[in-house]
Amino acid sequence: MSDQTKPLPARRQAQQRADEIRAFQAELARLEAAEVLALGKTQRQALADYHQSLLATYASAYDIDRDTRASQISLGMRVASFLGALALAASAFFLFYQFWGRFSEAAQVAILIISALGSLGLTVWVQGRDASGYFTKLAALVAFACFVLNISMIGQIFNITPSDKALLPWAAMAFLLAYACDLRLLLAAGIACVIAFVAARVSTWSGIYWLHAGERPENFFVAAALLLALPRLSLHRRYPGFAAIYRVFGLLTVFIPMLILSHWGQISYLDLQPKLIEGGYQVGGFAASALAIWIGTRREWPETVNTGITFFVLFLYTKLYDWWWDVMPKYLFFLVLGLTALLVLLILKRLRGVIGRSDTGERA
Amino acid sequence: MKAWTRAHTLAAGAALIVLTNAVALAGAFLNRNAEAESRVTLSERELALPYGGYRQAEDSGLALQLNWRVLDEDPDSWNHGYARHGGQPAWLNAAHLATLGFDTTAGAATSEARQRFTRQLPRQVLLVLELEGPAWQQAVLRARENAARQTAAAAANPGSEQFAKQAEAGRRRLALEETHASRLFAIDAGLDADALRRRYPDRSRHLIVRGTVRPAERGRDGDHRLAGHVSQLAIAQVNVPFALRPVLEPLRSPPRPEPEQQAPRYEVQLAIGQRLEPWIERVTTLPER
Repeated sequence: MSDQTKPLPARRQAQQRADEIRAFQAELARLEAAEVLALGKTQRQALADYHQSLLATYASAYDIDRDTRASQISLGMRVASFLGALALAASAFFLFYQFWGRFSEAAQVAILIISALGSLGLTVWVQGRDASGYFTKLAALVAFACFVLNISMIGQIFNITPSDKALLPWAAMAFLLAYACDLRLLLAAGIACVIAFVAARVSTWSGIYWLHAGERPENFFVAAALLLALPRLSLHRRYPGFAAIYRVFGLLTVFIPMLILSHWGQISYLDLQPKLIEGGYQVGGFAASALAIWIGTRREWPETVNTGITFFVLFLYTKLYDWWWDVMPKYLFFLVLGLTALLVLLILKRLRGVIGRSDTGERA
Repeated sequence: MKAWTRAHTLAAGAALIVLTNAVALAGAFLNRNAEAESRVTLSERELALPYGGYRQAEDSGLALQLNWRVLDEDPDSWNHGYARHGGQPAWLNAAHLATLGFDTTAGAATSEARQRFTRQLPRQVLLVLELEGPAWQQAVLRARENAARQTAAAAANPGSEQFAKQAEAGRRRLALEETHASRLFAIDAGLDADALRRRYPDRSRHLIVRGTVRPAERGRDGDHRLAGHVSQLAIAQVNVPFALRPVLEPLRSPPRPEPEQQAPRYEVQLAIGQRLEPWIERVTTLPER
């Protein structure tokens, strides 16, 4: 079965393939210029026809960027649709607050439910007509905001006790829109709801009122384990970029609590001396970020490597600050910071070399 | 396997919206369906209108703030007639805190033990709020004694501006306590609503609501004790139903005299349902005094 008769890949995969074709064409031109490779006229024509046809199919189905200029404009469109989505979601919130007091309770509930259903219907309708995905993202975020507003306002209208259980349907809606419309922004919203819900549940097991879950950073570790395990599901092969978002949020949910606990040991669950807890989390933070760099490099997960490096440097700099900010002249302190950055660069360069050699060895 | 289509997205999303709303509305219905768990008549002293300002312009809804208080163990501690940030009542001692689930086994003898206790996080409990009960009478008595003490001190120090100011502050505090401050006091806490109701059977004077308690310590000069801080209510604002708003709307904007000269302008019948969630049943204006 040829590529053109296969089912179309998702938009992001189509864009990735188009980018690879562009890179291939550029490299082919260089090879021919260097007289390393020379394609016959028929071969060249067949290749060009094939790529053109493939790109035309993708462009008609997904409105992908076919050249560099188009991809630069796309970046602007992505930013505009993100900001527009946030602004429209905020507008939906404030619009309701501005006028809800003028309606009876029955009308308020009806408006809330209809706006949630209507914005969902609009999202599905836009998705069918928007090959680029930018307008779908806008509509989907408004639909999510309408649903969040719907449930939180029902709570306010009927004086319902605030509950962490509301996070579950919000997460479900965010995931539904994220997977159905291939939207990473909604995936991030869904993951944030799951993190908050799991942390709240873990905190209630030990009797804490759920709104105070954030005051024991260890409550977030269970959510982190879940998030780091989820990308292993084969489901994510069809959604490029989704697994990376799970991994980044999973790592943030590990590293941020560790960073906090490495400075404020007294807020830990552990019934030990705060200094001991802080020391443990400092060592743990270095080890975990180094492990993230190693695993990310081995498995070719750039986002994992970058998150690991960021937190390794953060753990290092905050420790250096603790040790030397008060005792060193500032020029010396910043010199030490600069030198440690150089050291990190040298280590990473060496790591890259080792991996490069081991890859070559494996291929040989 | 059948491919996921937009129709599936619409159906799943609509089902999620309808189901979630149904669960939330069923909860509200169950709360109000049976006989109210308690029903009290409060005044503006306990259920205050929100402050005006830009939020009023941006938010057309109306909710009354539930003003509740705690009679602090320390008679000199005064919370200006309301305690939205809570307080440390005498009845919330170590033994009581242990029944609420706090670990008090280490005691209060050493600073490490006290620190171990206070680093525990807040727990949700059931609070008993009493209207116009002994706690309120005690608060009025304290204000009266304080006013008498300050007046006597001012009389003993004629010409002293400081003593005169303190006497005036004492009189204002008494006036506030008698006419303006909330009469609703948190007087007990527990985990079992039925047990609390058996202890406080008067449903027209004792409300059982959800709130939070956090550990604290009290004492000075070597006499340290474990204490509890009643920190907040789960529902501190009660939405005013649309049908009752016309009674309250005219009262929102007009300028008001000093707090100690303010008499309550309305009464509210507040019901607490089977799920311990409140709602307003009736609002009536009071004649001007």
